[in-house]
Amino acid sequence: MSSRQEQKAQARAEREQRERQAAQAQRRRRLLAQLGSVLAVAAVIVVALVLVSQGSKDKPNASGGAAVVGAADARAMLDGVTQKGTSLGDPKAPMVLTEFADLQCPFCRDYALNVLPQVVQRYVRTKKLRLELRMRGFIGPDSVVAAQAAYAAAARDRMWNFIDVFYRNQGTENSGYVTPSFLSKIATASGVPAKPILAAKTSTGDARSVQDAEREATAAGLTSTPSFLLGTKGGEGKPLVISSLDAASFTAALDAALAAP
Amino acid sequence: MSERRLRVAALAVAALGLAVAVYLTYIHYAGLQPFCAGGGHGCERVQSSSYAKVGGVPVALLGLAGYLSIAIALLAPGERARLAAAALTVIGFGFSAYLTYLELFVIDAICQWCVASAVLLTVLAVLSVWRLLVAEPDVV
Repeated sequence: MSSRQEQKAQARAEREQRERQAAQAQRRRRLLAQLGSVLAVAAVIVVALVLVSQGSKDKPNASGGAAVVGAADARAMLDGVTQKGTSLGDPKAPMVLTEFADLQCPFCRDYALNVLPQVVQRYVRTKKLRLELRMRGFIGPDSVVAAQAAYAAAARDRMWNFIDVFYRNQGTENSGYVTPSFLSKIATASGVPAKPILAAKTSTGDARSVQDAEREATAAGLTSTPSFLLGTKGGEGKPLVISSLDAASFTAALDAALAAP
Repeated sequence: MSERRLRVAALAVAALGLAVAVYLTYIHYAGLQPFCAGGGHGCERVQSSSYAKVGGVPVALLGLAGYLSIAIALLAPGERARLAAAALTVIGFGFSAYLTYLELFVIDAICQWCVASAVLLTVLAVLSVWRLLVAEPDVV
């Protein structure tokens, strides 16, 4: 091979190598750009999802300085109905419906706002049914504080107003919204002095009531809230099986259970 | 690992994720009514918490749609499909990380199915980004 040919071959090899290197560099740049755009798009979408998720949770509530709402609605539902301790309705009513609830539970709130008014109207005011409340505290520490406050309201025969106003101002679960300021506002709007409601947090009696409710729920095999036991006055309650927490399904289940021998 | 192997591995993981999402969506719609569960029922508690929906859409259904889209992107040929698969899995990874944070620090309950899905999405994100890096680009 002549030296001229060798020079040509070498030049070609060098050119090809330069081209390969240039192509590789271009490919690397393109990959990085692609990866960058993938990560940027992903970050934007994740942030959007988080914001949507958080947005639906940030309920305005009275712990953040917002006014308490719903005191008049609670009064409209309950005025003229006997309240004694944890019970609502005529003490001589033949049947008793016991509800197990957690004040932080969003579904207990749905029941209280959408179903309870009809239950009070159709069964409690007509003296067919007396309602009993058992406050549990399993969602978080705020549930226990709230439950004990509800029992303090029960000692003043205002538990049902208290829980109704509470649900109407319920915040995001375990967000720490059950502050003394929040409880004071709920108490005042429910017609209860704030002092005993705030003292409930350290009251052994109210703490025992919450523990008793837990024990009673466990004994009855109830693992969720809201759960219901239906029984005759003075008798033992049996779980009321409900398929859905809307007024029509609930009253249908209640009618069927009340009609059963 | 070759692009082909990475794709097959990602498809297998996506199939597992799809199975988990189908199960969780089924539970959400078929069985359990919305109640707050107590007594150590982590999954029920997570699924019935107010965080179980994003803008009214159950997270389980969102997961199902996500895994389906990932599987389709993995099955489709070409560079755009590879990019889509990487983007979708990274989104899934980011959102699962947020949901796991909620479980640990806000809802205070762990749903093992949700943790399984978070692990699968982490693996999927790694595989898809890796695949993007080793694949030969399309001839333009």
